[in-house]
Amino acid sequence: MLEQLHFMILGIVLFCVGLYALLSKRNVIKILMGIEIMTIAINIVFVSLGKNIANETFLEFAQIFPLISIAIGAAVMAVGLAIVINNYRHAKSVDSDEMATLKR
Amino acid sequence: MMSLVIIYVFMILAILAAVFAIECRRLMFSVIGLIAMNAFIWILLLLYNATLLAWIQLIVYGGGFTALFVVVVALTEKQRDELFDWKRSVIALVIIAIIVGFAIWAVISSSGYLPFGTFEIIESIELLWSERVMDLILQAIVFFATSIAIGTLFISHKKKVKKEAEA
Repeated sequence: MLEQLHFMILGIVLFCVGLYALLSKRNVIKILMGIEIMTIAINIVFVSLGKNIANETFLEFAQIFPLISIAIGAAVMAVGLAIVINNYRHAKSVDSDEMATLKR
Repeated sequence: MMSLVIIYVFMILAILAAVFAIECRRLMFSVIGLIAMNAFIWILLLLYNATLLAWIQLIVYGGGFTALFVVVVALTEKQRDELFDWKRSVIALVIIAIIVGFAIWAVISSSGYLPFGTFEIIESIELLWSERVMDLILQAIVFFATSIAIGTLFISHKKKVKKEAEA
């Protein structure tokens, strides 16, 4: 069945896909998508570590931290997208190089 | 055996959907890729018996964030994604290859070790110090790299302001 190691490797690969978006893309919407993927990856790693291999039970408590992370991630994403829309109204662009200073 | 094959298929599909979401040039299709990725991860979490998290993840990420992204993409509709930037992508891929290699090595080399049964803080710190020294070192590296990055940001911003003033 689904083992801890599979889930952890899935988490690592997804984290790296998100990191690739952060490092290589200039579109701010894509960067925010990368941040979302990274958050999901971290949640997956947390859940995978919550499984107790010794007696094959799943620790319900292990789902609480990812829940907090999801709530905070929702707030972060809402603020980020609001900044994107405001900057687009201001500078007519969603390029991250254009909004380096956030003023003008 | 059969179930393991299904799990591998869903894992690969989730990763491919994430790559599609990042690499697709039309932003609306990127959002569809995100929805697909969330659906595959929902299935995987259900297979892992994390029912509560699976449903909340589907509702919040698959539903709420997607709606937000659709609204933002619709409001910035004329903006297409930029052309493929080779230089940036190659540098990013090199950095990520190093991180992936190191992370997978660390996971596989420590998979036989299970830290459970620690209830007190001092016990956990002793465990960290004796069994997971590499974690501490990596945390220190990440901390210093972040502080250096923030410092360089400020320095380059100051230089830019100086140049503008001179011009």
